[in-house]
Amino acid sequence: MSTDQQRESGLIITPEGLAFAGHQLSRASLDACIKCTICETQCPVAAVTPLFSGPKFVGPQAERFRNGESVDHSLDYCSSCGTCTLVCPEGVQIAELNSQARAVMKAKKMPLRDRLIGQTTLMGKVMTPVAPIAQAALNNKPIRVAMEAMLGVHRDAPMPPPQSQSFEAWFRKRPRPTEPAPRGAVVFFHGCAGGYFEVETSKQSVEVLEHLGFEVLVPKQGCCGLAQQSNGLFGGATKSVLKLCDDLRSAGTDLTIISASGSCTGMLKHEAHEIMGVDDERLRDVGTRIRDIMEFLLDLHEAGELPTDFAQTELTVPYHAPCQLKSQGMGKPALEVLKLIPGLTVIDSNQACCGIAGTYGLKKEKYEVAQAVGQPLFDMVKATNSELALCDTETCRWQIEKSSGVRTEHPIWMIHHAYGLS
Amino acid sequence: MSRVVVIGAGLAGLVAANRLADTGCDVVLLHQGLGGLQSGQGTIDIFGYNPGRVTNPIKAVAAETRRRVPAGSLSHPYKALGVKAVRVGVEYLKQVLPELLVGSVESNYQLPTAVGAIRPTCLAQPSMVAGDVAADLELAIVGFEQLKDFNPELVAQNLNRTELAGGGRVNARHLLLEFRARQGPLGSPREGELDSSALSYARAFDDRRYRVLFAKTLAPKLAQGETVGLPAVLGLQDPNAWADLAELLGHAVFEIPLPPPSVPGIRLNQALTARALSLGVRTVPGVRVLGFAVEAGRVVSVRTQPGVATRDYRGAAFVLATGGFEAGGLAMDSYGSITETLFELPLVGLQNQSLQADYWGDQPLFNCGLQVDAQLRPIGASGEPVYANLHAVGGILAGSSGWRDKSGDGVAVASAVAAADAIAKELA
Repeated sequence: MSTDQQRESGLIITPEGLAFAGHQLSRASLDACIKCTICETQCPVAAVTPLFSGPKFVGPQAERFRNGESVDHSLDYCSSCGTCTLVCPEGVQIAELNSQARAVMKAKKMPLRDRLIGQTTLMGKVMTPVAPIAQAALNNKPIRVAMEAMLGVHRDAPMPPPQSQSFEAWFRKRPRPTEPAPRGAVVFFHGCAGGYFEVETSKQSVEVLEHLGFEVLVPKQGCCGLAQQSNGLFGGATKSVLKLCDDLRSAGTDLTIISASGSCTGMLKHEAHEIMGVDDERLRDVGTRIRDIMEFLLDLHEAGELPTDFAQTELTVPYHAPCQLKSQGMGKPALEVLKLIPGLTVIDSNQACCGIAGTYGLKKEKYEVAQAVGQPLFDMVKATNSELALCDTETCRWQIEKSSGVRTEHPIWMIHHAYGLS
Repeated sequence: MSRVVVIGAGLAGLVAANRLADTGCDVVLLHQGLGGLQSGQGTIDIFGYNPGRVTNPIKAVAAETRRRVPAGSLSHPYKALGVKAVRVGVEYLKQVLPELLVGSVESNYQLPTAVGAIRPTCLAQPSMVAGDVAADLELAIVGFEQLKDFNPELVAQNLNRTELAGGGRVNARHLLLEFRARQGPLGSPREGELDSSALSYARAFDDRRYRVLFAKTLAPKLAQGETVGLPAVLGLQDPNAWADLAELLGHAVFEIPLPPPSVPGIRLNQALTARALSLGVRTVPGVRVLGFAVEAGRVVSVRTQPGVATRDYRGAAFVLATGGFEAGGLAMDSYGSITETLFELPLVGLQNQSLQADYWGDQPLFNCGLQVDAQLRPIGASGEPVYANLHAVGGILAGSSGWRDKSGDGVAVASAVAAADAIAKELA
């Protein structure tokens, strides 16, 4: 690998193989593999295509033959959904091993597309000022066909909905809340999607937190680097995540940090450390203090501190817990919180994955696989409620909405509504 | 509503969670990965060997409860549980999984295995019971070229040379078919492979069009009156796939369980998990419980650490269903010292802890574990419970090696239901 490639990938490769803390941790776990095949049975990608030979074969088995270099290129078809690690009864870090190995495999020849789709903040900054034009372009068939040919982004893949106002602009320009905040301050982390595309979710999160009596601080903040990480760009992702830690810490070093971006929260809680081996006090600090917003509400409820004066809501809605939320080891907090709304029936999709897995399902060569992965979920959503579904992360919502035709909102939308805030 | 925390999602943990939820408890189920069910056969063993082949399992359980145990030896968990708990547990499981389990505690099925041996088991899936061996049964054992885990010739030959317990033999022949699991168009991401897993076949058999195509291929090769033995891949989500195939073929059909991934095991795991979810059990997968807190002799919370931060789960009662050595509930370090890995509970049966050289011989090490009181609470040397609200169920109990006498499922189910009922009574 050239110095440039090494810098971009952020990988440390010695003649003995990969040499960074995250990889050593993951690799140490592979001896615990008892070949029970549980990961193989739960992998949503291997279920729909033989192009991916399954997490056990590509993970703990192939890993023994890797010496920095990859021995099995079907690895590229792993979507990094993390289901394998979640279901492993022996604690093997299967998904982490595979993400690391993919980064090595791609380091020598990183497609331009994979570099670009990792730039999530940049996409938002470019699209927000010209939202109507961006929207029209993304809905325009010839433009999408050209995008597919030039960039390898599938013409039918779901795209972020451009907004004319960023969350930050809204937050800055809105009238200051006049009510006192008896419960003190919390920090809100909006993420790139929550900053530029899913602006409503961020607004509703802030309004719910303020309704509950918190003062919400929103420090200027960048990207967590997740999209770069999942595309194997560890160098850039590490820089981004540490910069973000500095941003979030600038608002106060002992405040709870709350986010409605399920996957970005996972990056800060464990992925940056476990996959990329980032070992930094700032990351540990933020990782300890950050909570998914539904997790935070459930904690309040368990402590007897969540008002449950929710409006009667006679409705049955499907709920899908995203992979990167499930891998945070807290179950499905949204299900528990939504149970508190009288009249509301929430049906858990109980499906592994919607298929998109961040940027996986956008790629021309993966699109069909991603659609097949999500098909049982799309069918379940349509059969449960043809007008509304709930899901905690942005790209998953875009995927479900595009492929099922059912409007898909963050669970906070329901809470916001049930508190009478909308 | 009282909160009960169940740790472990094998057969014992899932049954305990379901039973507790039925009694109105607010259940949290914490588990590291999926439990062992889908590594098993998808059947429920109560008693298979004692040490001879058992035909009436509940009679064998009763004999075990009467057996006098020499001082210093461990008694079988059935002795403490009693016959009634086994009956109640098995009836409960049949009642919650009516589509998946049939059979009676009074009688074992004798079912062919994937190497053509004959295995005693108490409850089986309806898709398996046509394989209950009887003299002069005419069998066609059918395999797929692309499924390496099932060799029909081996199965047929071994069955033919086996003298049945009641005398006589079956008459088996084999067929090996070239029939791909995935039949997607050439060049598409769903095009088939040369080496498929049982699961790929099972997913294919969920689709009626695939069953029709398969029946068309197989039916002309079958002889009048033959019962068809197939690897256990006849559908994953559709519980009637096997019956539909039998109808399409015009022959009785039975499934033979395979090494992992076990499709019948996945069916049991899915059904028990889905039922728990539908009853509102809060499941938290992917976490290992690492610590706990005690106040006044009671466990008040257990701790997980899914990332950098820790997360505690409080409860009024706790169920330890973490299994034995194979599941990580018990561990032996390099000095040979054995521990219960979460609460460091006192263990019994540590005297004969070295492994015996005879692979097929007795291995007393695997009988070590926890001793419990009538409410399934682990006890110390004094006979008093270690913690007033901590209960233990399943493979972590001392006194048996489920894989040897085929009592593991029975102990799991009976202890899980008994513990759940004791907790429900206590918290009522």
